[in-house]
Amino acid sequence: MTEEPICSVRGLEKHYPITRGLLRREVGRVRAVDGVSFDVERGEALGIVGESGSGKTTTAHTVLGLEEPTAGEVRFDGDPVSELSGDERRDFRRRAQLIVQDPNDALDPRMTIGEAVAEPLRIHGLDDADRRRAIVADILERVGLSGDDLDRYPHEFSGGEKQRISIARALVVSPDLIVADEPTSALDARVRSEILDLLDRIRREFDIAVLFISHDLDVIRRSCDRIAVMYLGEIVERGATETVLADPAHPYTRVLLSSVPSLDPTDRELGRPLTDTVPNPSDPPSGCRFHPRCPDVIPPDDLSVPEETWRTIAGFRFSVQAGELPESAVGDRESETPTSGDGDAGGRTATEVRRAVGLSEELRDPEAEAAVEDAAAELAAGDVDAADEILAAAFTSVCERETPAAVARPAGRDADRDATGTVSCLRHGRGGTSEPARSDGDGKNES
Amino acid sequence: MPPTEDDPRFEDLDWNEIQQSKRTVTAERAALAVGVALLALGRAYQELSAGLYLIGDWRPVTLDWAFLLAVTVVAAYGAVPFAKRLRRRPVSLRGVLRRRPAVVLSGAFVAGLVAVGVVGSALGGSPPLRFQHAYHPPVGFASTVPPQECLGVETGGPFDRVCHGTWEYPLGTNERGHPLGFLLVEGARTAAYVTVISAAFIVPLAAAVGVVAGIRGGVVDDLLSSYVDVQLCIPALLLYFIGYAYYGPSLLLLLATFGLLSWGGIARLVRSEVIQRREEGYVLVARSLGASGAYVARRHILPNSTNTLVPAVFQLLALFVLIEAGVAFLGFHEIGTYSWGSTISESINAAVAGQLQERADQPAHKIWWVSSLPAAALTATLVAFKTLGDGVRDALDPRGDRS
Repeated sequence: MTEEPICSVRGLEKHYPITRGLLRREVGRVRAVDGVSFDVERGEALGIVGESGSGKTTTAHTVLGLEEPTAGEVRFDGDPVSELSGDERRDFRRRAQLIVQDPNDALDPRMTIGEAVAEPLRIHGLDDADRRRAIVADILERVGLSGDDLDRYPHEFSGGEKQRISIARALVVSPDLIVADEPTSALDARVRSEILDLLDRIRREFDIAVLFISHDLDVIRRSCDRIAVMYLGEIVERGATETVLADPAHPYTRVLLSSVPSLDPTDRELGRPLTDTVPNPSDPPSGCRFHPRCPDVIPPDDLSVPEETWRTIAGFRFSVQAGELPESAVGDRESETPTSGDGDAGGRTATEVRRAVGLSEELRDPEAEAAVEDAAAELAAGDVDAADEILAAAFTSVCERETPAAVARPAGRDADRDATGTVSCLRHGRGGTSEPARSDGDGKNES
Repeated sequence: MPPTEDDPRFEDLDWNEIQQSKRTVTAERAALAVGVALLALGRAYQELSAGLYLIGDWRPVTLDWAFLLAVTVVAAYGAVPFAKRLRRRPVSLRGVLRRRPAVVLSGAFVAGLVAVGVVGSALGGSPPLRFQHAYHPPVGFASTVPPQECLGVETGGPFDRVCHGTWEYPLGTNERGHPLGFLLVEGARTAAYVTVISAAFIVPLAAAVGVVAGIRGGVVDDLLSSYVDVQLCIPALLLYFIGYAYYGPSLLLLLATFGLLSWGGIARLVRSEVIQRREEGYVLVARSLGASGAYVARRHILPNSTNTLVPAVFQLLALFVLIEAGVAFLGFHEIGTYSWGSTISESINAAVAGQLQERADQPAHKIWWVSSLPAAALTATLVAFKTLGDGVRDALDPRGDRS
């Protein structure tokens, strides 16, 4: 596109300080959004997708100026939002609108919906109450409600109707950008598709750009031209929706895709994360932030075990780190240390621990075997921290050391569209030399 | 009805033409301005005129002016929005009366109380002391401690005279020969002064502090909250007695000490409501529309806080009435202010601290009307305030229309 994007975000960071004591000494910071860049072109729908806690909503609020960014810049129609003042700021406030997630708290329970939809007009200076009322009656009809509903209160409407009212309220000031923060996550499937249709219709009819924030890939797939995948405050992959979803390059995108319920049970295996805990954003993992959960984490160079075994080892290691081991894999500290104690009812043996984590067979690599055995023994004795240290020393992946840069997505079946996307994964971008582990993006070779 | 060509459509609005309006004249502000101007005129007239009295034989003092100002504030920000609301969605009085008779009665009672406060003082001066008329019983009752001059029917012998009630004093008299009707009205006036002045000055202060602490957060919140906590620890009664030691008894002093020290609870309530609601979707949307903090507080947060706020405020006002009565009961009140509390106290032979107060020389049960009638009025006031508080809460909640 030659035209300037309506909204352009560069290096956006939003950190929340964790303070303690009377003087509010900073003891740490939650990196909710940590270096995010994207453009929203005029009239396009961009989807930001990620798990809860990935910083999607903070991104949305920062784009709208509801939060001051810690660093980075948001430009709206070419002007930096933080520098706007007076009339320009007011104009931005009119041209960028928000639709919030929960239809139940989107509307003030003490305002009639006529007042609610007229509120933007009122705040932006349309003083003529009769004119406001007429406009609101008209727009309510156009989003599928009745003009007679003006004097009713929100609690008299269903969730889908409330979301229509929210859309009407966002639309009534003729915005150029609508930020829709999980607009359909609280709705059932049929209503959801109606609401998405409505958003799609108004986007095309009035040429409004929509920034979709969602954890639901189906919503994004359905409504968005382009997609950006967020994990722990960073965008890990982006590109045209169809190509990214058909041919995901980042392991996290595959994890998200596989979490979408599918009728084919064999689909799921490829994208299961190693651990389920999303790390704390106040202490994000080093290197690639996804590495402790990544099913595709790169093995150490000196390790000579099959791919499958490596994944089990990595799963073992990061489960220990996250404290997510199954009940049967951790010994009881209080009981007598069962170094070789078969038959000790209270304790566990290293063999049992290994069986519980799926590493009961002896590994071919002697160093790896020794480390796993030692760690299992420590676990059997109940010392999780020692086991963690042993495993961390023995199996250090490059993913922990190096922070991946965004590189162009590998050319898939459709080279034209791929040219726009990027991916931040060492599998794709380590000095441009390494081959992606899976050339086949669908990952069928794994099943 | 399908949209026609004449219907205004949102996309036809020309946003370059619509300017941020600086609409400063609202009905509330107009009412407030007119009221304040009238009061200022009256005050100036009283200052400049040679006569001693403003209207009739009424000579307003500082407390009266404070009360009139408070009435203006309450009218501008209570009655005017109420009238607006009624005009938008008319309510049939009969329907409400049938559904919620207690609330309507309470409302009428409180309105009457305030009306007595406004006009009562201007109506009648203080009746003279008539010790010879002391202890007339109410109409229909008889007294075994008859006044020297019984105006009603007298029965019994010379040593056990019984005086029957007379229409001259329908509710009886106390030991000074003051008719109880007059004392009740005077007590109502005192109660009205207490409630209206508190409502007009204390509640906005509490709401403002709560909103600022809740919306600003951070250091501002810490400072305001800890100040409120400290303030709640100081007993207002103690401060009143310190002031009493210097200035003597004064209703204004009582209102100032209790008013200034008692709003902390309301402020804390408001603050917690604000914190609870400031992340709600509609608040986010309003902020993203560029609404100011004051707008959000006024239009969204306070209206949604009425469920807790309104009953708490009415409860506080009822408590102020009770506290004033209690202080007067103990005798720490101006001798010329006939509070319900002092009337009760004077009739029950209580050995109290205040030496200025006269005490009845008759056993309390023989002159029961002097204490019972003000006590009933006090009780009715408390009940009315609490019932009205609940009624107002339900009326403001669109979901609270339990019919």
